Amino acid sequence: MTTENDDVLETGGAGQDSPRAPGAETSPEDTPAGPDADTGAGPRRRRGGVAAVVGVLGELLITVGLVLALFVVYSLWWTNVVANREAARKSEKVREHWAQEAEEAPGRSWDPRDGVGFLHLPALGKGYEVLIVKGTGTEELNKGVAGYYTEPVRAAMPWAKRGNFSLAAHRDGHGAKFHKLDKLDKGDVVVVETKDTWYVYRVFNTLPETSKYNVGALEPIPKGSGKKRAGRYITLTTCTPVYTSRHRLIVWGEMVRTQKVDDKRTLPAELR
Amino acid sequence: MYGWIWRHLPGNAWVRALICLLLVLAVVYVLFQYVFPWAEPLLPFGDVTVDSGTGTGGGDR
Repeated sequence: MTTENDDVLETGGAGQDSPRAPGAETSPEDTPAGPDADTGAGPRRRRGGVAAVVGVLGELLITVGLVLALFVVYSLWWTNVVANREAARKSEKVREHWAQEAEEAPGRSWDPRDGVGFLHLPALGKGYEVLIVKGTGTEELNKGVAGYYTEPVRAAMPWAKRGNFSLAAHRDGHGAKFHKLDKLDKGDVVVVETKDTWYVYRVFNTLPETSKYNVGALEPIPKGSGKKRAGRYITLTTCTPVYTSRHRLIVWGEMVRTQKVDDKRTLPAELR
Repeated sequence: MYGWIWRHLPGNAWVRALICLLLVLAVVYVLFQYVFPWAEPLLPFGDVTVDSGTGTGGGDR
């Protein structure tokens, strides 16, 4: 017992005291401290180990939470910043291109990758316009534009005699160009601007929520729109409810008139 | 974890804080530039088109 205590005292760092004082007097003083320090160190070290693991786990959980919060910031804010910058650049290019072409040689020649024209939705705010490009792939739509469908049902261009000009754009993030598409109602005006023509459509029906597999909505005579005869239609699609991709929101319009673009690109009456 | 990083950074508290800030900015940059764009298509928040889905052919309706 005593030898053990002595060992403990020596290794415990209290060994400085023991040579100074006689063994009989010091041992009662030090022995309580010795075992106490010894038994205290063991659990403390063990508790320290558990605490360290829990601490790291807690830090990891906090980190995951912060990363997820950052992802929300990224999705709802940063993608808009990037997409709007890109869309503005592309829109400017299209307008420049149109201006140059008008000077050189009049006539329609367009590259659908650069942009076909602009979609105007005055119901979403004065001067609200979205660049229209070819394709509804992630890469196209992420640039803050509206894309016209090439599949599963190919869109008919506005200048086609008959057909359905079907478009898609993001509801949230990446420009969120169709964020307020649910504000469009029957009778609202939708205008497609191309290099030489304004195509004026009027909304005749909407579908607030439908299956994401409802490809019939894109057909030349859109299924579910109520139209039975071929005509010049426009279909706008996006996802709904906001911040999800569960369902699709659909807006259908029918062309009411066209107007030639003049030299000054005077807005049609519907956009003024 | 963060304590370990802090202890292993050189310099005094101010220098360490500055390095920490730079590290955080670097992490945010990598997340925004590489990780999130990669992860985004894997998450079902950005699908806006109607399509025939996988294997359903004509879709319903």
